[in-house]
Amino acid sequence: MPSEGADRMAVLQGTLDLIVLRTLQTMGPQHAYAIATRLQQISGDLLRLNQGTLYPALVRLEQQGRIQGAWGLTESNREAKFYAITKAGERALAEETLRWRRMSGLVEKLLSEGA
Amino acid sequence: MRRFFSRLVNLFRGPRAESEAVREIESHLALLAEDFERRGLPPDEARRAARRAYGGVEQAKELHREARSFMRVEQLLQDVRYGARNLLRTPGFTAVAVVTLALGIGASTAIFSVVNAVLLRPLAYQDSDRLVTVLHYGTGPVATANYIDWRDQSRSFAAVGGADYWSPNLTNSDPPEHLYGLKVTQNLLPLLGILPLLGRLFVAGEDQPGAEHEAILSYRLWQRRFDGDPGILGKAITLNGESYTVVGVMPAAFKFAPFWATHAELWVPDAFGDSIHDRGGNHLRVFARLKPGISLDQARAEMATITGRLERQYPATNRGVAVTPLKENVVGKIETPLLMLLGAVGFVLLITCANVSHMLLARTSDRQKEIAVRIALGAGRARVVAQFLTENLLLAAIGAAAGLLLAFGGTKALVALSPAYIPRVETVAIDAHVVLFLLAITVLTALAFGLAPAMHAAAANLSAALKEGGRGDSAGMRRNRLRSFLVASEFALAFMLLIGAGLMIRSFSALQSVDPGFNPHNVLSLVVSVAGTKEAEPYRRALFYRELLRKVGRLPGVISAGGINHLPLAGDLWSRDFVIEGRPKPRPGESPYAIYRLVMPGYFETMRLPLRGGRAIADSDDTRAPGVVIINERAARAYWPGEDPIGKRIAIGHGDETGPQTWLTVIGIVANAKQEDWAEQPYPEMYLAAFQNRDFLGESSDPIAPHIMYVTLVVRTAGNPADLSSAITRAVRSFDRSLPVSAVLTMDRAVADATAQPRFETLLLGVFAAVALMLAAIGIYGVMNYAVSRRTREIGIRMSLGASHAAVQWMVARQAVVQALVGAIAGVAGALLLARLMAKMLYGVRPTDPATFGSVAIVLGLAALLATYVPARRASRIDPMAALRSE
Repeated sequence: MPSEGADRMAVLQGTLDLIVLRTLQTMGPQHAYAIATRLQQISGDLLRLNQGTLYPALVRLEQQGRIQGAWGLTESNREAKFYAITKAGERALAEETLRWRRMSGLVEKLLSEGA
Repeated sequence: MRRFFSRLVNLFRGPRAESEAVREIESHLALLAEDFERRGLPPDEARRAARRAYGGVEQAKELHREARSFMRVEQLLQDVRYGARNLLRTPGFTAVAVVTLALGIGASTAIFSVVNAVLLRPLAYQDSDRLVTVLHYGTGPVATANYIDWRDQSRSFAAVGGADYWSPNLTNSDPPEHLYGLKVTQNLLPLLGILPLLGRLFVAGEDQPGAEHEAILSYRLWQRRFDGDPGILGKAITLNGESYTVVGVMPAAFKFAPFWATHAELWVPDAFGDSIHDRGGNHLRVFARLKPGISLDQARAEMATITGRLERQYPATNRGVAVTPLKENVVGKIETPLLMLLGAVGFVLLITCANVSHMLLARTSDRQKEIAVRIALGAGRARVVAQFLTENLLLAAIGAAAGLLLAFGGTKALVALSPAYIPRVETVAIDAHVVLFLLAITVLTALAFGLAPAMHAAAANLSAALKEGGRGDSAGMRRNRLRSFLVASEFALAFMLLIGAGLMIRSFSALQSVDPGFNPHNVLSLVVSVAGTKEAEPYRRALFYRELLRKVGRLPGVISAGGINHLPLAGDLWSRDFVIEGRPKPRPGESPYAIYRLVMPGYFETMRLPLRGGRAIADSDDTRAPGVVIINERAARAYWPGEDPIGKRIAIGHGDETGPQTWLTVIGIVANAKQEDWAEQPYPEMYLAAFQNRDFLGESSDPIAPHIMYVTLVVRTAGNPADLSSAITRAVRSFDRSLPVSAVLTMDRAVADATAQPRFETLLLGVFAAVALMLAAIGIYGVMNYAVSRRTREIGIRMSLGASHAAVQWMVARQAVVQALVGAIAGVAGALLLARLMAKMLYGVRPTDPATFGSVAIVLGLAALLATYVPARRASRIDPMAALRSE
């Protein structure tokens, strides 16, 4: 039975939303496949995202009104759903970024001082 | 919030959202494949690579769904739909399970509704848990002077009131009626805290002589006799020939007293009169309300001090005075039997659970493959368990719904069947508590029968299940152990129930064969009261009753007729002390006593109560003749051991009364007759001649005189005694149209009523035990049958290797025998324990009765044998070749 294997680095809870929003902000409207590819490229395979797990995040973000999906055609004339960041998404991204920076700064500080 | 709504919306547009997800996943896969193609893979391979890279499509869908909606709710609905489909697919299994569950749940609910109404609900008075009775030995009446001292000296009670039984004739109203009521102290009704529907309660001073001619009616009496006349207040009614003003009507639900005189429907003030100095005549029931902050123990301690002091002052009085919570007196006698029945029905429910549980286990094994496929397709194990539990709950809910219908019917039947002795049985209903109970046991039942099979199902080994077609499962051993445990516990439970029922049946048949001393067949009894009529005049009373007996005796179909003050079994029981001529004065409290009866000539003959010596009371025993008395054998043995009592003289009282003694000569000894409690040995008893008794004739001022203004006629008939009741009533009315006839009852009925409680308990317990036996047999049959079908192959091999039919049968049966034995041993232990609790309810049989234990073991053994025989036989008939080829 397939499950989350030990070899994959799990995406930290809550950070996937942040990553998706940031990707859409910098790259403009994208379909899920492009987002997944982009994430893999950036992380240099460090972050091996099970492509299927991206969908719940997209659904969740759409339900929260942070992104908006619309069906369109890819360059190769294939049907795909393109997601774009909304105003609310921008605001949320700003907040989340701030929180993330604070949090990671704090963790970093703790880790280096505690040594 | 927004997310909540879109999820909510998704709940209702499931299919659309689902296709959207599929479309998106498809598109993703296509793009992925395109990428692989671009890297040089051929289209086919690119598609396969895309699928591999993507991971589990179904899991993705599942995750998608989970994010999309209220997964739980949706899952639940899905599980319910799926469960319902499953149940419908196996209608046979479902029907058997539902019927079994309905039996268990319905019976439990019906019994609980009785327990709820009778035992659990508080009494219908204000703060009823603060109400107590103060009575001799818990239930015995007290003397007026003692009551007055307690009331005046105690500090623990907010109020102490008393009630006295009073059954007046309602005359000046057609037809005349003998009513049942109470004379109460002024403070008694107010201390209960129930306001009247109309008018008022009695106020201070109304229980003083001269002011007491007021009456409060019950709702029923008001409706029945006065058509619910709203202008009834202030009107006069005639009771025992005297005028009483109606001052109030109580609400319909009001009943008082709750444990004795329960049919009272009229209350008047009790002006004690001369009895305020009486410490010997015990007839008053005392009720009290504890003061706020005073505990029952404090009140008991105080009453012990008071009665101790009074006893020193007035020796032989105030003994054994007990403060008892009112509710205990109301439900005390019925508590143990009802709880026993609830326990019994609980056992039936447990057996039900065990049965359904192994039906489910067997089904789970057959569904192993289905489960494996579902897990492989992405269902989590928790999800599988949840699905099973939902299915079980659904099953239990259907069973409970059917059980509720059964409970409605069962409750009605119980109330109809229940003898009059069960207090508050008229209030039995399916109320909120009962529904709550039903819901609780439904959920518990579903968990009890469903949890183990569900866990087993989810623990299944996937690949093994898939490979071996669902036959060889690693959980098999555990499952077998569980199954054995279920069968053994069913046997243990059934054993205990059967012992309980067996003991009750033995006890009941012992009761049935008890000789009441008289012959109750073809005897009609009825009460004729002269109170308030012109026949009550002292000079007329004897004449009237003599004439009445003569007239009734001459009616066609009548063999003989007689009369008595209180009919055995159905009537009151008065006990009076007496002295024996020539014996030293007994110490206080050690006087001889006997049940006090006044009889008219013809009584012993009519009841066929055999004379053991001397003669019966004759017509000639009147006021001009010397006083006579007849005693029962018990009194003869108790007070004249080794002596012939005939010719000896006794006098009622303690020998210190003023005036000349009225000596009565013992002229005869009769057999012991059952008095009140069917299972008890009769007390000493004395029969005085009514027509020479000054109290009865109305020629004395004794306080008991007003209480004997009625006679119970007994009439022996050639045919059905009930047929004569109207002819006898006409004969009574021909003397005086205002004479009421009441309490018309055949003696057979009185006997049946006296054994109604054990009959009711025996019947119910018997039914439960029979159901338990049946369920246990079905259970063992199901398990055996299943075991045989699972071992077909093994049996085939054994037979092809030369095992005989008998060997195969024994191999199959051995398992059942072991389980039954283990169950029976546990059952014997449990039954011995339970039977001890039942000891009080048994008559003429010991709780360890070997005959009962033996026959139950045989019955259960036979049931097990029968349930095993069929599958074992089937096993031995297996054709080895076919069995080997079949898999």
